[in-house]
Amino acid sequence: MSRSPQALLERRYARLGLLLIAPTIVVFCAVIVYPLLAAIYLSLFQLYTPTLEGSFVGISNYRDLLARGEFWISLRNTLVWTAGTLSLQIVLGIGMALMLHQAVWFRSLARSLILFPYFVSTVVAVLVWRWLFNDLYGILNHMLIGSGAVDMPVDYLGSMPNAMISMILVGAWKYFPFVVIAVLARLQTIPDTLYEAARIDGAGPVARFFDVTLPQLRDVLVVIILLRAIWDFKEFDLIFLLTGGGPVISTQTLPLLVYKEAFALNQMGMAAAYAVVMMAIMLVFMVVYIRRTREKDAS
Amino acid sequence: MHNDHDIGGTHSRRTLLKALIAAAAAGSLPLRARAQRTELRWWTPQGAPAQLDAYRYQIAAFEALHPGVSVVLEPLSDEGYAPQLAAAFSSGQVPDVVTHLPSFSVQSYYAKGLVEPFDDVIEAIGPDDFYPGANDVFRAADGRHVACGIGNSAVNILWLRTDIMQRVGLERAPETWDEFRSALQKLQGRGIYGTALPYGRNTATSLVFIGFIHGAGGQVFTPDLEVAIDSEATRNALEFYREIRDFSPIGATNYSWGEGLTAFVSGATATGLYTGRVLTNINEQNPRLSDHITCALWPRLSRDIPPWTFNDFPSVCIPAQSRHKDLARRLAAFLFEPEGYIRQLHAAPGHVLPVLQSISEDPRYLDNAIIRKYRKETDLMAEAAASGFNLGYESSAHRSNEKAGEVIASGAIADMVQRVVLNRENVDRVLADTTRAIAAVMAR
Repeated sequence: MSRSPQALLERRYARLGLLLIAPTIVVFCAVIVYPLLAAIYLSLFQLYTPTLEGSFVGISNYRDLLARGEFWISLRNTLVWTAGTLSLQIVLGIGMALMLHQAVWFRSLARSLILFPYFVSTVVAVLVWRWLFNDLYGILNHMLIGSGAVDMPVDYLGSMPNAMISMILVGAWKYFPFVVIAVLARLQTIPDTLYEAARIDGAGPVARFFDVTLPQLRDVLVVIILLRAIWDFKEFDLIFLLTGGGPVISTQTLPLLVYKEAFALNQMGMAAAYAVVMMAIMLVFMVVYIRRTREKDAS
Repeated sequence: MHNDHDIGGTHSRRTLLKALIAAAAAGSLPLRARAQRTELRWWTPQGAPAQLDAYRYQIAAFEALHPGVSVVLEPLSDEGYAPQLAAAFSSGQVPDVVTHLPSFSVQSYYAKGLVEPFDDVIEAIGPDDFYPGANDVFRAADGRHVACGIGNSAVNILWLRTDIMQRVGLERAPETWDEFRSALQKLQGRGIYGTALPYGRNTATSLVFIGFIHGAGGQVFTPDLEVAIDSEATRNALEFYREIRDFSPIGATNYSWGEGLTAFVSGATATGLYTGRVLTNINEQNPRLSDHITCALWPRLSRDIPPWTFNDFPSVCIPAQSRHKDLARRLAAFLFEPEGYIRQLHAAPGHVLPVLQSISEDPRYLDNAIIRKYRKETDLMAEAAASGFNLGYESSAHRSNEKAGEVIASGAIADMVQRVVLNRENVDRVLADTTRAIAAVMAR
């Protein structure tokens, strides 16, 4: 039975399609699927980190971690940190972007300088902040005592809730420029006619912001919140260097717990279990968030 | 006729290809030459600039004796060496020589087959030259040595400002906790804190507090390594550590080694707890205090309890996965050659103390401005360190504790201190939790 030229051509196109998509699939498997499966696989073992030798324990790592108070405290800390720093980043970022969108003097210079905290290395940024917070030589305490606001230095990093508040503030300072860049780019594309129409309708600056600017920013804010929430949720270096998770475990987030299990306690299997749970939590949040946003858009 | 081999009209494709091959060959020459050299990697968490200079001197001398060998020095951080080594061991990309790891870390690695036995290097250095018993801490359960000491370190030394002592009428260093408390009350004032102890969630707090437990006559483990931290001695130590909290700066809740050292060196506190590095730092960073400092053994609950000096026993060891073990052994032994070893010790006089008797008496070692000026202090530290202990070796009666590093890294002891001292939680409950946490680490 002879095949029609049409069918042959279609089959060739299908093969070509597979061939063209193959590199993407290979790269996707190598950088996403393999590490993910490897993490899940490792989480089923009790492994000594330096040798990666150990024994299969099934889901007992998951049972253990869910029974540990430390996990729930760290999860709560992670959520407080993420929600706190993300909210501040968004508020500061939108505020600063609106300011830089105006015709102010040295606007180009200001737009460049605003990126400085985002570009500076986290280690350097944390060292600078630790010095600012220092009880003996820090400028913040010096100014507070000098102004008579306090009699004794404030313990910014060693007591609660100061440590969490300081951490959230430093995180917001470090990462809000990302919001500024994205929001500023979107602000420049909002047609002036929308504002003119709003003005004609008698809308003041606040009403124009809520009725014109904010709806126009919604799409970009969805992306920003999604990305920054993921990044903040798994933030490690800033928190580790600033408070080390202390006092006690009051600022210990899940990534710090993963690090502690993997490298302080040399329990790679348990660390992998924490990492898998972290990923699952993030996934749940992201799915809920995206669905809600879509529902809002549809309505 | 147009020559289709012409490129740009002047060179043929073949000419260009030849040129490319020649360039590639020329470019690869250094790489090939480098490939013929044997590269040894040396890791150390002791990386102060002066120390790095001393190591580089030793490397140059070793390379001169071993043509074709190059040694790459890779400093680690004091708090970060464990993760870096864990990653190195699990990936197989290990250094050939590691120096200045605490004895308990090396014991832990040896127990997992990650470091080589070290007896032949000790033989090459000369076992009789070490202080008697200096390498006992490195003896494994199989009777072999897992490493040897490259220096001694007296960590919990009490540093004192003699000018302030004189001003407040304090004639001698406190020996007991009561004397220490009373001294702090007198010393604190005029903008100067009494001391700067660590209360942070870090290894410094854990290690310092272990000294307090021993200062109260207690121990973390029994000699056969049962958890023994839930004791009257620990309760006393916690109570005293809480009582003297107000004599440290408010930020001590987040202090580690560095902050405590800086506080004393800068003159913000009248006493401090650190190794002999204080001497170099004071002389370099705050010389106006250089004639007003002295040191003593850390006070304990009563004079009946012998002083317990924390010595992390900085070591030299060779990872089992090293691809150049013979050369690594030669390098490890070479580090004790007097010329280079003395330079290494002089890079941090009083901080890293000699383990070889011949070096301690060597006029070249003694000929150092800091050692000459503070001979009484360095002798005291040398003596204290020689009879010192750590969590891996709590007393001469204790078995070697291979899990000591993990117990400290778990933060269980620092958490205990923070919960009792900062959060004022119920001591009994905290001690029960700490016992469980340490037992869990030991059971893994």
